[in-house]
Amino acid sequence: QANPPNEPNPVGFQNTRISLVCKDKDLKWIIASLEKKTGLLFVYSNDELNLSAKASCKVKDAALQDALQQIFDPLHIRFEMAGKNVLLRKAPATTLRGETIAAGNPMQEIRGRVVDEAGNPVQGATVQVKGSQLVTTTNATGEFLISTADEKLVLVISFVGYLSEEISVTDNKPVLVRLKPSNQQLGEVVVVGYGTQRKVSVTGAVDQVKVTEMAGRPVTNLSQSLQGMSPNLIIQQPNAEPGARINMNIRGIGTLGDNSPLVVIDGLVGGDINLLNPSDIESISVLKDAGSAAIYGSRSSNGVVLITTKKGKKNEKASVTYNGMVGIQKPHVWYKPVESFENAILRNQAMVNSDLQPIYSPEQIRQFQREGSKEWFLDEILRDALQQNHNISVSGGNDKTTYLLSGGYVNQENNLVGPGLGLKRYNFRMNLSTEAGRLKLTGVLAYARNETKDHSYNTSTLIVDAGRTPTYYSQKDEQGRYLTNEVLGEFNPLGILEKGGYRKYDDDNVFANLTAELSIMRGLKIRGVVGGTLAANHVFERVKQVNFFPKGIYGADRNTNDRYDKNLFLNTQLLLEYMRGFGDHNVNALIGFANESSTNQQSKIYMKNTDPDLGTPITETIIDPSQTQNSNKGNVESSLNSVFGRAGYSYNDKYFAEFNFRFDGSSKFRKDLRWGFFPAVAIGYRITEEAFMDSYRDKFGNLKLRASYGILGNQNVNNYQFQTTYDVFNNAYGFNNQGVSGTRFTFANPDLKWERAATFNAGVDATFLKNTLQVSFDYFNKLTSDILIQPAVTGVYGGKVADYNAGKVRNQGWELSVSYRLAGRDLEQTFGFNIADTRNEVVYFDGNERITSADEMQMILKEGLPFNSYIGLKRDGYFQNLDEILNGAVPTGLNVRPGDIRYVNRNKDGVIDDQDKFVLGNPFPRYTFGFNYNVRYKNFDLALFVQGVGKRDMFLRGELVEPFHFNYSQVMYQHQLDFWTPVNPNAKFPRLAAAGSESNTNNFRRGSDLYLFDAAYARLKNVQIGYSIPAHLLQKAGLRKARVYLTGQNLLTFSGLDFVDPELSEFDNSLKNSGANSGRAYPTPIYFGVGLDITF
Amino acid sequence: CKKLDLVPTDKFTEANYWSSPEKAAIVLNTAYSQMFNNDRFFYNEGLSDNAYAGRGDQQGVTSIASGVADASLARFREEWGDRYAGIKTCHIFLENVDKVPGFDENLKNRMKAEARFLRAFQYFQLYTWYGDVPLFEKDLSVTEAKSISRTPRAQVLQFVLNELDAVASILPANAQYPAADRGRITKGAAIALKARVLLFENRWQDVIDVTEQLINSNTNGNYGLFTSYEGLFLPQNEFNQEVIFDLQYVPDLKYHENFFDLAPLSVGARVNSMAPTQELVDDYIMLNGKSIREAGSGYNENDPYNNRDPRLTATVVYHNYKWKKPDGSTQTIYIQPGTDPDQDKKPDEYAPGAASSPTGYYMRKYYDPTSTVNFRSGLNLILIRYADILLMYAEAKNELDQMTADVWNKTIRPIRVRAGFSESAALDFNAALTQEQLQQIIRRERRSELAMEGLRIFDIRRWKTAEDVLNGWAHGARYGEPTIDNGYIRANQRSFDKNKHYLWAVPRDERNLNPNLSQNDNW
Repeated sequence: QANPPNEPNPVGFQNTRISLVCKDKDLKWIIASLEKKTGLLFVYSNDELNLSAKASCKVKDAALQDALQQIFDPLHIRFEMAGKNVLLRKAPATTLRGETIAAGNPMQEIRGRVVDEAGNPVQGATVQVKGSQLVTTTNATGEFLISTADEKLVLVISFVGYLSEEISVTDNKPVLVRLKPSNQQLGEVVVVGYGTQRKVSVTGAVDQVKVTEMAGRPVTNLSQSLQGMSPNLIIQQPNAEPGARINMNIRGIGTLGDNSPLVVIDGLVGGDINLLNPSDIESISVLKDAGSAAIYGSRSSNGVVLITTKKGKKNEKASVTYNGMVGIQKPHVWYKPVESFENAILRNQAMVNSDLQPIYSPEQIRQFQREGSKEWFLDEILRDALQQNHNISVSGGNDKTTYLLSGGYVNQENNLVGPGLGLKRYNFRMNLSTEAGRLKLTGVLAYARNETKDHSYNTSTLIVDAGRTPTYYSQKDEQGRYLTNEVLGEFNPLGILEKGGYRKYDDDNVFANLTAELSIMRGLKIRGVVGGTLAANHVFERVKQVNFFPKGIYGADRNTNDRYDKNLFLNTQLLLEYMRGFGDHNVNALIGFANESSTNQQSKIYMKNTDPDLGTPITETIIDPSQTQNSNKGNVESSLNSVFGRAGYSYNDKYFAEFNFRFDGSSKFRKDLRWGFFPAVAIGYRITEEAFMDSYRDKFGNLKLRASYGILGNQNVNNYQFQTTYDVFNNAYGFNNQGVSGTRFTFANPDLKWERAATFNAGVDATFLKNTLQVSFDYFNKLTSDILIQPAVTGVYGGKVADYNAGKVRNQGWELSVSYRLAGRDLEQTFGFNIADTRNEVVYFDGNERITSADEMQMILKEGLPFNSYIGLKRDGYFQNLDEILNGAVPTGLNVRPGDIRYVNRNKDGVIDDQDKFVLGNPFPRYTFGFNYNVRYKNFDLALFVQGVGKRDMFLRGELVEPFHFNYSQVMYQHQLDFWTPVNPNAKFPRLAAAGSESNTNNFRRGSDLYLFDAAYARLKNVQIGYSIPAHLLQKAGLRKARVYLTGQNLLTFSGLDFVDPELSEFDNSLKNSGANSGRAYPTPIYFGVGLDITF
Repeated sequence: CKKLDLVPTDKFTEANYWSSPEKAAIVLNTAYSQMFNNDRFFYNEGLSDNAYAGRGDQQGVTSIASGVADASLARFREEWGDRYAGIKTCHIFLENVDKVPGFDENLKNRMKAEARFLRAFQYFQLYTWYGDVPLFEKDLSVTEAKSISRTPRAQVLQFVLNELDAVASILPANAQYPAADRGRITKGAAIALKARVLLFENRWQDVIDVTEQLINSNTNGNYGLFTSYEGLFLPQNEFNQEVIFDLQYVPDLKYHENFFDLAPLSVGARVNSMAPTQELVDDYIMLNGKSIREAGSGYNENDPYNNRDPRLTATVVYHNYKWKKPDGSTQTIYIQPGTDPDQDKKPDEYAPGAASSPTGYYMRKYYDPTSTVNFRSGLNLILIRYADILLMYAEAKNELDQMTADVWNKTIRPIRVRAGFSESAALDFNAALTQEQLQQIIRRERRSELAMEGLRIFDIRRWKTAEDVLNGWAHGARYGEPTIDNGYIRANQRSFDKNKHYLWAVPRDERNLNPNLSQNDNW
């Protein structure tokens, strides 16, 4: 800090007074004059300052500091005194385009800040003094500075996509301008396949998800946050355990196999949506119809989800953003057991009702009552768990290069007790782009690591077994021993969770993408893309032996296992793009070539009897040959070559037409059936642009009509199916106590070919009330033919067959989305609502019908019915007396009693059997909806998000329906208490009877509508209450933005179903029922947390 | 870029599979593996009056035994499908094996004969359960399989008999196989299966003729009774002279673990899924050869397990049973309520609705003392043994009223001697008995000797006694309400319709797909 000796005291300079008057002199002249007058040295970069810029100045006998300020501020140059030097720098990102400064009046500075409706800074907004040429733009923090001689003036602030604002300035206090989005949408851009489009010109059913509305929700992956955001983008979860799979579906069940949409991340297929950091997402487009999706050809028939990640912005100072959230997940089990003594009484009643001996003596029951219920095992294995999400990102750019670096961390503890169970995910992303002349290079590098620690057993069994045990027993005694009992004779869930070992998943995922774009001539660009995903997944599993008391052993095999999985997905693309306007005519064209290939390999090592402490091999260790495999086993490869393109034309932003196609060749089909052509056409008409609609437009708003038709494909079948394969495996059988190999053969279907979906879509986009109310409606009709499915094969055939093109399904539905904005100066509200429906019907199925069973219930695949409709008997109340039984129809061989279910004897033959089944319902959700409400008052904000399903038949079974289910369960739940008795003849459930009794066989062993429940619901998914720190405080703290909020998830649920979470699905993405459904599901937690968003 | 012509690297295709005898043999191994499975081997006993499968509906036997099954029962579909899957494998083998270069002719012919035996075995099982079934001798296409109709049972039976004759002339006898091939189908197995096929038809003279090929001669294989009844089912005695045809298991590699749900809970079982009935226990005779209800039998209802047929102890675990542990020591099994010295645990005691046995009995036969974790056992399961041949012979002789001391001394007597009887009243032929009385003795002998080996259901079906023994309650030990059924536990109510239940339903799904498949009566 000390000044070197012999230097003049800098204070002296500051006392210098100077004068400088000039007119239209360049900066170079001004600096030279100042140097001469003051003896100071001005330091600057020629690149940064424009020395030839002309300026005028009028400084008379001013102190040095003031003089410099008067001279440089209007020029937007900052100066910094450092000893004898004055450092000159361009003021950050504000440029003064106007040159006239009125002479005479004292200059006044107007400072201000421009933010969007959410309070985020708007960079690059134009700020103009009305009626003058004085213009500037806002910097990365949304701030601007404008100097003018006028004392009273009006500023006009405008930005693409927003309504222009005019603000009167009467004093020199900083102004805060809040821009409201314009609904003209003229400038808004939508991401579509292999490019972007202005929203106004979109002709297909493309839904741009409002990413900002997903912020602040305590979800751990992107799929969860998409729920309810886009009509007919249906997200369902079979259970809520950390890391559990999620079903995603667009527009219902169109095919009979996998209905998952294609997910494209930053232009590449094959990434994992659930490994993305939700904070990194810039935009999500959902392509629903042929017009928008056909460019993805053979894999587009289930729709496409396009995700792009955030990039830095040009000429933006580095900004650092932190988002964090910490909260508690409270497990919520919907069903509860009755008190222990009640359970014993009810159990006795069930036995006596079936002419069997009661189980519990009156003395035992009195004892249960005296002792009270012990802690329910299910409650005992669940706990509150912490969840935290933290993200930090830095982004910025100069005029050539932009960058974004981000890091994310998620830690979701498991609600099951047990040491350290839960999920951790680390995300790292680097998005760079730079321009060198006509070449633009973009690089994306993202790394995700998912670490999940799981117990060594399976959650559904732990949950169901804990739930099935009556509250007479303890799970652990004072000596710390894990106890078994008459119900769980060999099994103690708590012991398994706490001491039984673990499975540790560590999954590494690298996503890289390098794009080079060369501008060849005006409007013509060529683009090359090389990229891919490398996923390396590993599981390490230790099963530790736990000895229960008085008997029972878990994990006696002491397995130590490793599984490695490696999947390389490579993608290369070459695209040529042309886009040009000729007067009112706009044309664009795109042609591309691509190859995608994937290689999967896995290896497994399974050892038994390993060291109890270390899990290492010891004398008695054996390698389990049925499980262990090298990487050449389970090696699967596939490849896809494609040519695709688009041609678009529009006239005067009024008429639009577009043609898309893709020509795909896949390794999954034999040579001459390998190539498939998938075309689509789409048209759009902005009818309110017509002169004759002027009065309508002025009265109501804009109206646009859209329609598209095209053919989409699907190749979601296993590889190699056109070839017969023989898969040799060991220890199929034995001779002389030596294992010998066997072979599984799968017969080829050489005629396997593409599945094709002809899709028609028509839509309307309209705005009302000065564009504040926006409405979109789409109708679609999709007929999928040549559906790839394993045909129903008779048992006589005796073997597995490959998929066939054996089905036809029609899928129809509609989507409606409405949004409304009510803006005021302090109070601003937005409403968003979407609802959709989809219905499918099997039009043709080779083999007429296929029935699959999931426990008691059966599902039918049959022409004329929705895919996998539930079929079974229909109830007709209960037999109330012996007369009704004598005159009624019962299943063959069964003697029923009053209080047992009476079924509808459909064919009136006096016997209840297979011939009496009805189609009972449809498992796929209908009328799915989402509702968003956001309100801001000054610095406070509140957001509500409600999501739900209007109609769904949920199949529940097992102990949730049948008391004392099969003796596997010895518990009766509170919701089952409404059972038939002579004084309760219209009960919800039939009379109590013992497991295995004829009554229970009649009531529970028959698939009937007893097992179907109405799972319509509306759920308050998320509530946020936030407070943003006011701007003047922010500036003091050096922050650009800061918001704190409280957030809650799954707080309220409205449903007729009150003993199980109606949101949980019993199905996977193919509508396959795994059988063990919601009753065994990990409970959906309720979340409470706090969050913090900071930008500086 | 990856090319589009991809072939799997971990599986063979049609182009490169049928290239060596070893690979062809692997297909035959598959056909062996599809012959039967241990779950059905054990739980099929629950179809009969010998046992009650009280937890879940294991292999559908509980529904079937209690008469509440309908045509959509999974077991009906699976048994049907699995049998035809086995037949398919045989056809694949038979139709492709001649493509294989460098196959030794003798070996190839033997393997073809093995495959034909396995196919005949599958058809035998099929018509036994379902009556008329589609019969075909070549691999079917998907389309053919959707329109084929049922072949009359008699024709399927004739096919099976012809095939068994044909393969018996090709297959080596048991001694002719090298040790490494133990477990393969032998000439003796083909003859023994033929005997069983004929037995099920009540073709008594044919049964006599065929069983004599094994009884009177060594050319078709060396067979005899094993010295110890208990030892017959122990792993150290696998492949003994009594075994004619068995399912192969390999310790640690190909195993069954059904005892985890069958053994007493106190010796390590998880729950009880199936338990012997009082009706079975009651049919074991006294050491003096008399049935328990016969005058002078000495049977004491309060000490019911004393002085009984030693095979009861080798088959069924009852109250106060001395369970032999692998280390040679014994453990007492307490089943009667309130008898376990440790009243905190009492895992095996009978209690209604508990995890313990619903009948008060557990299963002992086929317990493998060398089994590992969860009763994992590599013990072979015997499908036909020599004692069965002797019993078939005795039964056929008696049915033709040819039972003599000579026949008795060749059959029942050695079986009882081996079982551990020593009193002459039990061993000697009683010429005073009528044919009908002898029939009862032979049938009871068959039940005791072969209990829990999965054969009882076939016997009561061919005797047409199922409607008698499978109607009403299946009982357990005398721990029930004293006023009901004399205190014997009512374990499971059964119902058997003689106009319906002697044949299973053709599976509903199968008929939905193939309109040409008819249904059995009253289903």
